[in-house]
Amino acid sequence: MTGNDVIRIRHICKTFDDLKAVRDLSFSVRESACFSILGPNGAGKTTLMGMVYGRTRRDKNKESRVSVFGYDPLHEELKIKYLAGVVPQENNLDEELNVMQNLDIYSRFYQIPKKTARDRIHSLLEFMELQDKKKSRIRELSGGMKRRLIIVRALLNNPRLLILDEPTTGLDPQVRHLIWDKIRQLKKERTTILLTTHYMDEAFQLADKILIMDNGRKILEGEPKVLLKRNIERYVMEVMSREKYNKMKTDLDRKRVRSDEVHEVALLYSNDLAYLKSRASRLTAGDHFIRQTNLEDLFLKTTGRKLNENQ
Amino acid sequence: MRTNKPILYPSLFNRLYSVWYRHFRIYTKNLVSNGLPPFLEPLIFLAGMGLGLSKFLVEMDHLPYIQFLATGLLVTTAMFTAAFECSFGTFIRMEFDKVYDGMLAAPINVRNLLIGEILWAGTKGFFFTFAVLCMLTLFGILPLNGSTLLSPFVGFLTGVMFASISLLITSFVKDINQFNFYFSGFLSPMFFFSGVVFPIGNLPPVLRPVAEIFPLTHTVRLVRAVCFFKFNYSLLLDFLFILVITLIVAYFAIQRLGRKLVT
Repeated sequence: MTGNDVIRIRHICKTFDDLKAVRDLSFSVRESACFSILGPNGAGKTTLMGMVYGRTRRDKNKESRVSVFGYDPLHEELKIKYLAGVVPQENNLDEELNVMQNLDIYSRFYQIPKKTARDRIHSLLEFMELQDKKKSRIRELSGGMKRRLIIVRALLNNPRLLILDEPTTGLDPQVRHLIWDKIRQLKKERTTILLTTHYMDEAFQLADKILIMDNGRKILEGEPKVLLKRNIERYVMEVMSREKYNKMKTDLDRKRVRSDEVHEVALLYSNDLAYLKSRASRLTAGDHFIRQTNLEDLFLKTTGRKLNENQ
Repeated sequence: MRTNKPILYPSLFNRLYSVWYRHFRIYTKNLVSNGLPPFLEPLIFLAGMGLGLSKFLVEMDHLPYIQFLATGLLVTTAMFTAAFECSFGTFIRMEFDKVYDGMLAAPINVRNLLIGEILWAGTKGFFFTFAVLCMLTLFGILPLNGSTLLSPFVGFLTGVMFASISLLITSFVKDINQFNFYFSGFLSPMFFFSGVVFPIGNLPPVLRPVAEIFPLTHTVRLVRAVCFFKFNYSLLLDFLFILVITLIVAYFAIQRLGRKLVT
């Protein structure tokens, strides 16, 4: 059943000169789902998003297909853009103008009648808790307010698909939680959401499905909880002292633990909590810590700890 | 999941208008600092040149020098404003302010964006020529009549042509400082050798064909014809030159910049 897919992508590639930014990627996003794309900087996330709304043209090859609401962005980008709202990675508000004027300009792009636009702007500003900033100049706004205003701008035409490129990067926890809350509300109202992020907790909180990519390739795809269950041990012990770790590492049962010792902190992964606890008894309380594994552990496991040339 | 309802995205006219409107709102936001200089600049220029030089230069092409120069300024002002708008202006919007990232997420395509940009620069050309015309009329340098009132339309053509040329230059520029070559290597020589400051006939015969290649030469001829109500058939050639150059250059500019914006 693919009748409810808002986005369907099959075998797309994108090459810039000699850089292969996206390599043979496929996925689908169902209506009113939140689909999150994770990956280190330079993994090809933004390029992938661009190919969804016609900002980036995919490589020509026979197998590649992109369908958004049934339209191919290569030929019918205007229809897709009319149905979608986009929050780009970098803020690009018109600094000369105030909040209302910024939104007024964009309501023209969608040919929203003046009266309707005015009402919608007021209710969206309220939704994003910016109602007191109507007359403020852009440079008087904080980073979090600017980001919320750009989300308002993307919502002007009541989009059925919202594309968010790192919506909360660089924002404080209060604003991040506010934005997450709003995204959840939009989802409830049946808006489909495509989201890129570096924050694993963001993806875990919001996404029904995640796709981890690295170097333009898909590494993993699935529901966050299922991915965790299938691809990584349940527990991890962080040993903060390298010296102590070196002492204990000789008599570790390698069948029961997997170690990751690239950095100063050594990580011991295992499904056997009792075994980890028994190892911990030889350490003092301050130099170790046992917790459940999370998406970040999975992410580091699958994309590696080394920096790539784009990071 | 194609919807059954047809998707009524905005018409071509509305898409171009919304780009134009965006620039209009930004420009008119600072009306005093943006709108006053076009009126003052010609005054300063004419006072400087006119007071100092008019004693020595009685007539150029059978016109009092002040009239000769002033009519040329009607279009050079349009040239410079359009050139600034679509070189530094476009580059800053594209590379620094990332304005196009937002605009291209709305239902317009890259052609709409760039044609809107050119039309806006043409509008500024119209307005700047109009501002000079006001001053020339106010100080009695030119009579105000139906014919001189056509000169802002020549300003619009000039603006559109130089906007296209500037966008093509912008498509090659990698660093904003490279525009200095465009301004001092191309636009400034054009100012002096296109029949604005002295008639092309005064150039050495070998250089005259060069002046004919300069796009400004042809708009200067058109604007003088309009100001003094002296028309002849060769003006059709000037008009044709402007039209052809604009269309060809705009085509390549949109192709090249389009590939930068939609990768």
